[in-house]
Amino acid sequence: MLEQHPKDPAERHLIIILTFILLLFSLSSCSDTQTRVGLVLYNESDPFVYNYARSIEEHAQGVFSLSRADSGNSQILQNEQIAQMLDQKLDLLIINPVDRLSVYSIIKRQREMDIPVIFFNREPLLKDLDLWEDAYYVGAKAEQSGRLQAELIMELFGNDPRQLNRFDKNGDNVIQAIILKGEQGHQDAEIRTSEVLRIFHDQGYAMEAVIEVANWESTQAYEKMEQIAKTFGTDFEVIISNNDAMAIGAIKRMKEAGFFTDTNGNGRIDPLDELWVPIVGIDGISEAVELIEYGYLYGTVLNDSNSQAQAVVELSEYLLGLRKEQEMTYRLLDDTYVWIDYKVFTLD
Amino acid sequence: MKRLIHDLTIRQSILAAFLGIVLSILSLTGLIFYTSFSQQTDLMIEDHSREINKQIVYNYENYINSVIETANYIQYITSGFDVRDSYDYLQDKYLINTEIKKDVVSVYLFDTEGRRVLGNEVSENSAHTITAQRWFTAALQERLIFHFSAEDRQSLLPKNEEHVISVSRYAEYIEGGQQKRGVLLIELNSNTINELAEKTNLGPTGHIIIIDDDDSLINTLGSYELDQLDMSMAIAVESYYGGFMTEIDHKTMYMNITPLSNTRWRIVNVIDVDHTAQVKRQMLLTLLMIFVVSIFVAAVVSVAMSRRISNPLNTLKESMRSIEQGSFHSKVVVTGQREVVHLSETFNSMIDTIQSLMERILNEQREKRKTELRALQNQINPHFLYNTLDSIIWLAENDRSEDVITTVSALARFFRISISGGENFITLEDEIQHVRNYLTIQKVRYQKKFEYRFEVDREVVGLKVMKLILQPLVENAINYGIGDEQETITLRCFRREDSLILEVENTGYGITDERIREIYRIINGTDKTTSVGLRNVYLRLKLYYGAAADLIISSSLDVSTTMQVVIPVREPVQAIENQEEVT
Repeated sequence: MLEQHPKDPAERHLIIILTFILLLFSLSSCSDTQTRVGLVLYNESDPFVYNYARSIEEHAQGVFSLSRADSGNSQILQNEQIAQMLDQKLDLLIINPVDRLSVYSIIKRQREMDIPVIFFNREPLLKDLDLWEDAYYVGAKAEQSGRLQAELIMELFGNDPRQLNRFDKNGDNVIQAIILKGEQGHQDAEIRTSEVLRIFHDQGYAMEAVIEVANWESTQAYEKMEQIAKTFGTDFEVIISNNDAMAIGAIKRMKEAGFFTDTNGNGRIDPLDELWVPIVGIDGISEAVELIEYGYLYGTVLNDSNSQAQAVVELSEYLLGLRKEQEMTYRLLDDTYVWIDYKVFTLD
Repeated sequence: MKRLIHDLTIRQSILAAFLGIVLSILSLTGLIFYTSFSQQTDLMIEDHSREINKQIVYNYENYINSVIETANYIQYITSGFDVRDSYDYLQDKYLINTEIKKDVVSVYLFDTEGRRVLGNEVSENSAHTITAQRWFTAALQERLIFHFSAEDRQSLLPKNEEHVISVSRYAEYIEGGQQKRGVLLIELNSNTINELAEKTNLGPTGHIIIIDDDDSLINTLGSYELDQLDMSMAIAVESYYGGFMTEIDHKTMYMNITPLSNTRWRIVNVIDVDHTAQVKRQMLLTLLMIFVVSIFVAAVVSVAMSRRISNPLNTLKESMRSIEQGSFHSKVVVTGQREVVHLSETFNSMIDTIQSLMERILNEQREKRKTELRALQNQINPHFLYNTLDSIIWLAENDRSEDVITTVSALARFFRISISGGENFITLEDEIQHVRNYLTIQKVRYQKKFEYRFEVDREVVGLKVMKLILQPLVENAINYGIGDEQETITLRCFRREDSLILEVENTGYGITDERIREIYRIINGTDKTTSVGLRNVYLRLKLYYGAAADLIISSSLDVSTTMQVVIPVREPVQAIENQEEVT
């Protein structure tokens, strides 16, 4: 039939239309020959993660195309998103896992599909990363943040454990400290807390510490400070918080107790002249930076998301063959890790 | 193909068109409907399964979180007090958990040597094996996470053979003012884990499998057969995580593999969606049935419809064919579509017209024949009248008044019969009388040179015959048979079978066969000789009696010559007579 009537107009139109549709399909499916990378975030409403992702996007601009997904703190959703990206045959995945313990199943699947994966922000177990040579982690060491916090406070107290300076208000040569701990059992909370205590101990400082779990939250920190004030009054010499949010909660409570009043009216709080207690946080969120500038917060340890994002993008480029290993700003360790240092942030 | 389309009857083309349309519409809608239905069903199954999965995972994670919270609380309490100073207080905190929570079998704190620091009693058998157990070594190795392990082991409690799940974690505690390291252990029974699954509907053979990070089985729940479990396990191990439709033991299942947060476990929900998937198959079957029934109905309807349309046409066609074969008297009576009825009416009026035209032609032909016949009959008289009058003159000149009287009276009778009131047909008796008069006249004229004789069967004298047939024959016999010798003319009338035979025989020389052929040629009109007598008879016979009538001439030399007129004795004689009366 077809061969007999090749010039049947209706038939020819049909063929043209079909060809056109087919062409469109094939075009849309392979129009993008550029390198494509998937970025999966555990939760975009976490401002740190949000900024992190923004930095990654900025660094990746013009290098590779990035498709972003927000898992909304659901591992099930994250798995679906990753599966979808694998179906699209992306060249590389950058994943901020929701649950670091279930990363092994993600790595196994990546290994099967032979698509490299970079994890960030939440560190998978070493034995999971060892499952496959093309699984990487970019992050900061939680221990370092604790150590820097401790060092910042030691410096404030004069760097001499035998002779503390005037910030040892009661002059007993013992630092009375409140530690606001993140979620009990949380990796970072445990490490940061134990690391601060360990450093003081190792450096020969005497410390009396009250540890309160405030679950990373500003309001919970405020409430815990309320209880502490009832039990211990305000006779403590430093507040060490596992993160900035809890430090901000503590500042709020201390202001209500009469601390942090601008008595000389110079627009900022002066540690030497006024009722003041040093409070240190970790993360370096913008609100904390602002509080440091006004003198409320003594300092924070910056979890340098911008540098980490740069490292993530550079590692991606390296894995995609767009950059040599020597050209990377941050070293790749054990062919698995890129560690970014925390940075101390104070007014000075 | 094209020729095939052209060759189809109305019925076939209507059937083909109808079925073609119905078939294509049905297949198209069926296809679209089924694909969208199937997609919807799949989507529904997927949504449903995911929802169930989320619920199950949510329940399990909630449970795990509650266990972890308990563990965190115990750990927090432990880290805040000196084990030596506050032993009773801490011990109380440990044991209260086993009493309040039905799923918590026991809570322990061990030091790094595996010695019990706080918590429940340890059976003597187990005490020395603790440091070798996986929950213990793992907790010391990976310090910052909880270790959920379900190695097949019994509780550490004395006299308790319950199989337990261990939740262990590295923990620090203070003993005698010294920071010490240890392992916290919570033993759980599987009651709650089982209960959590019971609340969800996984379908008839749906089941839940919990597997470890090294793909070893931790727990199975739900109704299943061992084969199915093995298959599910195999698929789950291969697939790592995610949700997808799969086939297990010839049943459609939806499998969801989800890691459980804070553990190294994956929960595999295998939901039996076979029933829903069957709906799809049933739909396909139903569609197929609708398809078949519709095709059948469409075929029946289209056959009926095409019959309704084509039947009147066929009737019309049959009528036309019969008319084609010459039957003009049948009228076409067709019922059905207005167009066809109208067509048949037109056709009927056409037939009427043709019929009246034909009748007119027939009448014209008949009139023409009659005129011809009259002319032929009229040809006879003047010639004979001239001769007879001539001989009467001659008789009168010779004063033979007796003969004049005989002749004139015979002539009078002769003409009376000849005219016979305008009738063309007269009885044979009259015809014979007519000949007799003629012979009387001729005998006078020819000086009695011949004799004549009549041999007439009585039974035939009543028959009507065309008039003036015998006279030309007798005339012929006289003209050609009379010579020097006295001759005899014999006139015979008799019936032979269906024919009336009128025979005129005259003795004499006879005639040759060649002469006979010549005569035949003359009467057939192939010879242009102006001998009108016999030809006239022959033509009239044929005109009126048709093929059955004949004129036969035979002769035996020196003996006699015979002419026979054969007339069929049948209705045609009457029929034509009647018709003539009608017209």
